[in-house]
Amino acid sequence: MSDRAFWSRFLLPGGLWLLLLFAVPICLVLALSFGYTDDLGRAVYSNTLANYTDAFDPLYIPVLLRSIGYALATAVLCLLLGYPIAYYIARYGGRRKHLLIALLVIPFFVNYLVRTYAWVALLADEGLLNSALKDVGLIDTGIQFVNTPYAVIGGLVYGYLVFMILPIYASLERMDGALIEAGKDLFGKPSRVFLHVTLPQTKQGILAGCVLVFLPAVGDFVSAQLLGGPDTYMVGNLIQDQFFAASNWPFGSALTVVMMLFLSIWMLGYLRSAAREARDPVAAGGV
Amino acid sequence: MSPLDPRLSRRQLFRAGAGGALGLYGLGALGGCTVERPIDKPESTAPIKPEIDGDILLYNWAQYMDPAIKQGFSDKYGVEVNEINFDNLEAMVTKLRAGGQYDIIWPSTEYAYRLHQEGLLHRFDRASLSNADGISSFYDGGWWDPENEYTVPYAYYTTGIAWRNDIVSGMTGSWNDLTNPDGAGKMFILDDFQEAIGEANLINGWDLNTADPNELDVSKQTLLDQKEFARGISTNSTQNLVNGTAVIHQAWNGDIVNVRNQVDNPEDFSYETCKEGVPVGSDLMCIPITARSPGTALKFMDWVIQPDNAAQNVMWNGYPQPVDGGKQAFASLVKDEPSIDVNLEALGDGGMEYRLDNPDDRALWNQVWTEVKAS
Repeated sequence: MSDRAFWSRFLLPGGLWLLLLFAVPICLVLALSFGYTDDLGRAVYSNTLANYTDAFDPLYIPVLLRSIGYALATAVLCLLLGYPIAYYIARYGGRRKHLLIALLVIPFFVNYLVRTYAWVALLADEGLLNSALKDVGLIDTGIQFVNTPYAVIGGLVYGYLVFMILPIYASLERMDGALIEAGKDLFGKPSRVFLHVTLPQTKQGILAGCVLVFLPAVGDFVSAQLLGGPDTYMVGNLIQDQFFAASNWPFGSALTVVMMLFLSIWMLGYLRSAAREARDPVAAGGV
Repeated sequence: MSPLDPRLSRRQLFRAGAGGALGLYGLGALGGCTVERPIDKPESTAPIKPEIDGDILLYNWAQYMDPAIKQGFSDKYGVEVNEINFDNLEAMVTKLRAGGQYDIIWPSTEYAYRLHQEGLLHRFDRASLSNADGISSFYDGGWWDPENEYTVPYAYYTTGIAWRNDIVSGMTGSWNDLTNPDGAGKMFILDDFQEAIGEANLINGWDLNTADPNELDVSKQTLLDQKEFARGISTNSTQNLVNGTAVIHQAWNGDIVNVRNQVDNPEDFSYETCKEGVPVGSDLMCIPITARSPGTALKFMDWVIQPDNAAQNVMWNGYPQPVDGGKQAFASLVKDEPSIDVNLEALGDGGMEYRLDNPDDRALWNQVWTEVKAS
């Protein structure tokens, strides 16, 4: 038996799992997106395109643009916050490296929803933060943190930050430290060494992090629901409302399919870039 | 191996695509089917009798029934009373339609009506319950159950306005109080399409359940104006009031009970119902046809509305129960703020129920609400 055949068998459980519990449900969502809701509120499979014409109603364009805007802001903030953390741990973590990574990951053992509720309690007008600021005399009346777009983006950053840090950390770990030494030996200032050596070497980590943060952030509904105000309605909230409030599963499914297709475009862009990098690192901007 | 493996040739991609297309064609055979497989219905349609016929499984909202009520029944009749929970009605109904075997469920009036229309509820004679006389007359012949043969009321709630009386003054007992200037930027509307459109309809003098597109258009504008004024759209009314983010909140009366239990200054929190109309919502108990022990289930319902049990349950969960014992317990629970206790029988024509049993009307309301939230 060849090695390949030997190892292929172990794909079976995982493959079956993905097929039954991932691919089949997605196909059902796809099928239901051509369905309708009957008089008793039951979703019925059919072959209508009505849900798709509804999905492209101009009414939803601002919702989509808002979701993309929030997700982009989230990715940028995660990058600015996450890169230095990943860099510090990878370069200067020393023996405590694994401990530091564990500390980063531990908060993510707690469900995202619960953590977001904690944020509400922390940031509310009479919450812990505002009370503390009042006690030390910095402010007189509570600052409005929650129910703003900033709170929604903040919640998203908090929710997805670790997905930025880990791939960047991995790419920094993979990088040969001697490259940085070489840059310094050539009398590069630290900022120039970083820009011309470290950054290009970790480009794939950054890209992977951005994709891992951006894609789920576009479809997120928890942050906007708990931390948002009247004007922070996101695509995720729109879809969730179709399933749980409007009893309109077919329309919710159509919106889901449209969003998946839309996000796939971004994903494809990332895969192409990764493939180019793997084939030809120099042309792709690497060293 | 890069993510775009060159070994995955065009031919393979083509084959994968063809397989997918075949799969889709297979899905086409689903046309006309509902998402859930139709469940087997029993042939007998005779009403069930309250008699012990086995253990029961309750499918209820979480934290909605005092465990001691279940334990008491279990001890008295020697059967097990188990409970699992749902967190929204849509999920509950989906599982039920897929054949879930529950002995008692807790739907709202509209869901009870729909489930009955689908033939998913057991029929029984409400008069066969020994405590039937204690049920509020409000639940005698409701539109969702004209003959009193599918439902027993569990709890009810009214929709009104909760506010901070230490910050907001000049409340007038009207839905227009939502935009009392003292609450600018700190007002919340409930994130519920019926409650939101409902209050707007009442403000404009329409029927609570109007489906007239022109009237709904005006109500939509009312909501858009309120949205400008609001801090948010949320059903976390208890939390929003407790943590000081809301000073005016469209709210259910059970929420304000919870708020007052959680804060150091309960006297600062008031609640009013509004003169234009008081929406009343109800949670009912029903027995699905998939029940394993419908007889025990009916007997358990009787146990729940027994006055001493109802009183104990109300003290535990804080929601008014529209039966003897439950009513008195709730009144004593909120004696410091009597406005929270709404007398159903005294409401008369002011008491209103949401009723969108026409699917087109329901779709229209949902559309209006989506437009309000998305724009």
